[in-house]
Amino acid sequence: MSLAIETCELSKRYRRVRALTECTVSVPDGRISALVGPNGAGKTTLLRLLAGLASPTGGTASVLGGTPRQDPAFLAEIGFLAQEIPLYRRFTAEDHIRIGAHLNPRWDAALVRTRLAELRIPLDQRVGTLSGGQRAQVALALTLAKRPRLLLLDEPVAALDPLARRNFLATLASAMADAAGGLTVVLSSHLVTDLERVCDHIILLAGSRVQLCGDIDALLAEHKVLVGPRKDTAPIERTHQVVQTAATARQSTLLVRLNGPVTDPAYQAEDVTLEELVLGYMGADEASPGRHLTTVGEGS
Amino acid sequence: MTWLVWRQYRAQGAIAAALLAAAAAVILADGVQIASHWHSILATCSGNTSCLRQTSLVNGTLGDLPYVSLIVPAVLGILWGAPLVAHELETRTIDFAWTQSVTRTRWLTVKAGWLLLAAAVCGGAITALTTWWSGPDNAQHASAFEPGHFDTQGIVPVGYALFAMALGIAAGTVARRTLPAIAATLGGFIGLRLVISDFVRQHYMTAVTIYYKTTSSFSPSGQAWILAQGAVSRTGRVVPTGWGDLYPALPTSCQKVFFETQRPGAKSGDLNPVFSCMQAHGWRGFITYQPASRYWPFQGIETGIYVLLAAALIAVTFVIIRRRDA
Repeated sequence: MSLAIETCELSKRYRRVRALTECTVSVPDGRISALVGPNGAGKTTLLRLLAGLASPTGGTASVLGGTPRQDPAFLAEIGFLAQEIPLYRRFTAEDHIRIGAHLNPRWDAALVRTRLAELRIPLDQRVGTLSGGQRAQVALALTLAKRPRLLLLDEPVAALDPLARRNFLATLASAMADAAGGLTVVLSSHLVTDLERVCDHIILLAGSRVQLCGDIDALLAEHKVLVGPRKDTAPIERTHQVVQTAATARQSTLLVRLNGPVTDPAYQAEDVTLEELVLGYMGADEASPGRHLTTVGEGS
Repeated sequence: MTWLVWRQYRAQGAIAAALLAAAAAVILADGVQIASHWHSILATCSGNTSCLRQTSLVNGTLGDLPYVSLIVPAVLGILWGAPLVAHELETRTIDFAWTQSVTRTRWLTVKAGWLLLAAAVCGGAITALTTWWSGPDNAQHASAFEPGHFDTQGIVPVGYALFAMALGIAAGTVARRTLPAIAATLGGFIGLRLVISDFVRQHYMTAVTIYYKTTSSFSPSGQAWILAQGAVSRTGRVVPTGWGDLYPALPTSCQKVFFETQRPGAKSGDLNPVFSCMQAHGWRGFITYQPASRYWPFQGIETGIYVLLAAALIAVTFVIIRRRDA
């Protein structure tokens, strides 16, 4: 199994602000990875470092087998779509298609035209006059027309209404299907529910650090919510990793990364949802800012 | 890349071309009129220099043409240079441009290359028109090095246009925002132009100083640039032209002679006795100037300075673009 993305202690500082701290993650080829975390967690920074739009202040990144760099061959493999949906507002979609044709070695103009026709987005109208959802679709179609091997999408659905969001993710899913394993996607959002349906891999950032990274199914299998009487959690922590603790007067609820079976019969183990898992790890960061749970797990 | 530049600038380019064509039409019409007027003056005066100089040649609205042409480079730098990088950073379209399969270096080379070419063409067209239009005026007045003449004609406006464009591009890259870049471009361009024309230009080549007897006179041939003139005493004391400065510096005996010439009844305006007295006391007249023959070397040096500065600014821009985060 080869890795589309592999970073080692990748860090980025902007003057005094740590945007990303010692980020070590990996995404295997052909996956669609959800990059989640609260606002300001470092998602945009990580994506921009991977795309070669920014350079790290520490650590290394390997993207499709090489360091992100200003090189036509590397740039041709990467599709990047920034949060602001950067298109020339006074240009039409057709203008953008022609620009892309001039600037890229493999350019699938037909793909853009077909997708935009399906979505009934006019090619000859200034992009600035389209709706936010339509603009995002145009930008995604243009990014896909590069025929990239890695697609980095920064909060592309954040500004979209639910229908536009569904259309966008459907376009993405069909692109994944068309590429038949030749396309890896990293898609960021601060809402995990947006991505749950399409993603099979997750990177969770909080406070500029990686909290969780791995295959979603494997992570869900590794984690349980333990519900039991309120008592000292030390015995549990000796074997397992307690991510988050919540307690009422009589009972406590622990989010635990299991390391073998739970032997204490006082606890009842329940499956976790992806949302619970994500919120648990985000909450863990908030509760104890100094503590970081850098965990690199490829469960499968 | 070239197609992207064409698409981005075709509307502005068309407007600029239309403005340039309109300006050319007006200047040509006016220039033809001035030229015919000049020919009639030539015929009337038939070689009499003072007659030639007395007749007013340039009148009406286009008299300010040389000054209008001074602002063309600055306008180009502001409207096209400053936004080149800054506007794409502000609207984030840089993320689109820099994630196509084209390096930043090539992106900047093509964009800046075409705009610099456009600046040179606009600067060249304006200076060609102004130089031609000013032909009769140049012949009438001896003022080739004067500001408003030297820097609106010949080849220097091309250098100014290239420099203003490069300054705009560099300022936009450093400031990352269009408005501050425009301010910096305007301030930098005007500031450098003033410094060079007021303090630097006269030193491009060592000026010629001629000493002559105070009883004679000397004036350099052609449209020379006179930097200083006056008198110098035996001990080396330099006094500029003008009796207000000269009189107190004169030896007492010459002051008396001067006083005599000013007495009522004296042959008014005949200062020759004073000059003879000065000559007797070892005074000499002097004139420091740049000869008329240096007009084109000076044009070349000044253009070279601006072109080199433009090249340096573009080089800095490349370094920043390659190294800094988008």
